[in-house]
Amino acid sequence: MRTKIPLVVCLAFGVIMFAQYFSNHTIARAVYNNILEWWQIIFAFTLFVGVAAFIKNNLKSISRGKKDTPYKIVSLIGLALMPLLAIIGGTRIGSPFLWSFENMLAPMQATVFSLLAFFVASASFRGFRARTVSATILLLTALIVLIGRIPLAEMISESLPKTTFWIQSYPSMAARRAILIGIGLGSMTTALRVILGIERTYLRGE
Amino acid sequence: MDRLRTRWIIFSGLAIVVIVSYLITIKFKTAPSPATLKAYKYLDTLPEKSVVIFSFDHEASSLPEIQPIALAMLRHAFKNDLKIVGLSLFAEGTAIGYDLLSKTAREYDRQYGSDYIFLGFKPQYISAILGMGESIKRVFPEDYLGNMTDTMPIMLGIDSYDNIEMVVSIADGDRTVQWVEYAGARYNQKVMAGLTAAMITSYDPYLSSEQLYAVVGGLRGAAEYENLLDKRGGGSRGMLAQSAAHLYILALVIVGNIIYFRNRRRGGGG
Repeated sequence: MRTKIPLVVCLAFGVIMFAQYFSNHTIARAVYNNILEWWQIIFAFTLFVGVAAFIKNNLKSISRGKKDTPYKIVSLIGLALMPLLAIIGGTRIGSPFLWSFENMLAPMQATVFSLLAFFVASASFRGFRARTVSATILLLTALIVLIGRIPLAEMISESLPKTTFWIQSYPSMAARRAILIGIGLGSMTTALRVILGIERTYLRGE
Repeated sequence: MDRLRTRWIIFSGLAIVVIVSYLITIKFKTAPSPATLKAYKYLDTLPEKSVVIFSFDHEASSLPEIQPIALAMLRHAFKNDLKIVGLSLFAEGTAIGYDLLSKTAREYDRQYGSDYIFLGFKPQYISAILGMGESIKRVFPEDYLGNMTDTMPIMLGIDSYDNIEMVVSIADGDRTVQWVEYAGARYNQKVMAGLTAAMITSYDPYLSSEQLYAVVGGLRGAAEYENLLDKRGGGSRGMLAQSAAHLYILALVIVGNIIYFRNRRRGGGG
């Protein structure tokens, strides 16, 4: 029973969502609209689950007195502070919430993300080596695209941006398309397997 | 210790290159790419009061790269008196979108509620995108500020994608794909994107098949758009820094390979 009910629900909703796509009937549209609303409500509850799990895990770490306790405390303060600021001062321009977002959260996240540039620089020095023929081809292609994407490329040679465009439009796109077609076929197969109850890993593999 | 010192030199070098580049002002003449030109021309030729959705589908981390693109496109839209419906399918994009939209609207003296509106964030982006094809007011009964959307002047006569000329998805990930796959495929909604440079190649197949109408990509795309708009912004300012960083990485690759081949000749390997 524990597995049969979810399987039946899954089959019913899979079939309904598939069938309604081909119908413009009032009932089909009403069912579709209601399912879309349920979908949002269910997802909104998963956000609560996420927040609860975050609080639980952080409190557990703090109680164990691990080395990263100060960071956990800051995380929890941040989690409580932002909604509090939004509730007390609103979220309009000039509100404490928006000020904190603009002047604390955004710069901190941008800083962490920008560290990527430093690691790319370090990796390009250490890892990008012409060890084999295929590695050399990859290296040369990367260098052409690297230069071809900057305005200076047009000053060096007109053919550089054109070559970059060609690499992006043909070899790179061919590979991308192959991946996308593969993902599409895989998604369809998996969806069918889930709807028909063949794929049951979402029920803890039962 | 040696490895640490090398890393320290590389990191410091990059920091110096970028900081110095930002202190120097050189105006680059960047010829617009076909995709940027297409995006610009589309917004430029839309009749006044046409409605465009701007969806801020990104996180705060990509703000330095993505904001110049969004700003240039918003300026263009406000300048041409287009009506803008802002929203976000990323929780973090909510504050960013509202802030940027409000500040840009002020530059052009546009009024909230009649010239533009910000609907806020909706979780579960697929159902939100699909739902808006049926009724935008049903998905967003209230705007970001808590006003009932059906009482806002801008929303009179807007109820689904039938009343929307274009969706502009400002994204740092794959959220634009969902706009293409759900709003585009099911409701024939035209979609264009402002993307981080790292994401451009992922969208090339959609662009080539015209499922995605146009793309303004990366800091360079922003600079191209700013040139077309004749209003310098973060994209143009960042061009020298980006070019310098690219050349610096190029130099590192070359030096790394020289060292590698020299060591290999000596029998020391890489």
